[in-house]
Amino acid sequence: MNKCIDSDIQEMLPDLLHRALADGERQRVQAHLATCESCQEDLEVLRTVKSAAVFAPSIDVDSVVRQIPPYRTIVPATERPARTRVVSWLVAASLAVVVLGGGSILLQSNGSLASRARSQQPALRIAKVPDATKPSPPESVARSKTGMQPSIPAHPQALALAADADGLSDGSLVQLMNDMDGFDALPASEPDPVISVDSGDSL
Amino acid sequence: MELINRWRAGDGRAATRLVGRHSQALARFAASAGERDGIEELVQDTFVRAFASLDSFRGASTLRTWLFTIERRLMLDRRRAERRSRETVPVEESDHVSEYGALDGLIAEEAQERVRKSLDALSPTQREVFTLRVQQGLSYKEIAEVVGSTEGAARVHYHNAIKTVKEFLKDE
Ligand SMILES: [Zn+2]
Repeated sequence: MNKCIDSDIQEMLPDLLHRALADGERQRVQAHLATCESCQEDLEVLRTVKSAAVFAPSIDVDSVVRQIPPYRTIVPATERPARTRVVSWLVAASLAVVVLGGGSILLQSNGSLASRARSQQPALRIAKVPDATKPSPPESVARSKTGMQPSIPAHPQALALAADADGLSDGSLVQLMNDMDGFDALPASEPDPVISVDSGDSL
Repeated sequence: MELINRWRAGDGRAATRLVGRHSQALARFAASAGERDGIEELVQDTFVRAFASLDSFRGASTLRTWLFTIERRLMLDRRRAERRSRETVPVEESDHVSEYGALDGLIAEEAQERVRKSLDALSPTQREVFTLRVQQGLSYKEIAEVVGSTEGAARVHYHNAIKTVKEFLKDE
């Protein structure tokens, strides 16, 4: 069998199957098919593959529709999702920790540890880089934490991240989300109203 | 867009028509992409997500292409989650065999089985492109949108895929 070199025709064969060709194109493809054994074989393969698509389970339309809330109750994609509100709250809370707590967090870890962490994870450093020259007493951390935000578990990384959520890399955001998934204060399941399209990944 | 607008206006039957029109195509895409369990749930989740963000659908692509994009995203998320759980809880090889074996029993058609095996021989992206093209009838432009690639790349994937599938089906 001769190898077909008309890639245009080859690429149109699925459209022939789906009756998606305009008259002129269809006639051109059919004329080619009459003389090209390779494309005849291709078409047969495509027919087989197309007809084998029926092994998908049949979907119960009504049960799908029942799960869709009416339009009004759906949070519009432009409205800020609950998670963002939590992040904003955490931003405020973490800023308060930074302001009230001063450099006391740094005091608890020694200087070399802090600088090593800074070099490894640059996005996580906001709350851990207060003025190191003026450390405040350690008890101020406890005071500010218990005074300001009793329901938030100690989670310096997430708090630090939250202080600059807009400027984070994807990886850091993922880490923040993962960290926040561990918070008891968050609901166990939460709709994610924003659809993000993954452009670089493949299945 | 008319059905979408009717649904926005509170017409519940519009949602039924939209789901009815696209649900089987979504199920086929999932099955063709190699999903074996929970396809109904996946289709369900796709529609819930789509309806929740319908305001972001501007009609630049067809609704079906947009739905495929959402479904694909969900499939990727699922697989990542499965990979993570496999890393923590190792699955015995025999579990896979018995699981697939049971499913094979349900798929009676020999031709379907052969096709499925031939699709297994493709790379994940080739498989997506090929099934979207052949089983769903999407254009290369639409496919590029769904898989986040270019039309040219989609064409190359298609050519490589049909070559592989053809050889596989010939040898069988
Ligand atoms: Zn030809």
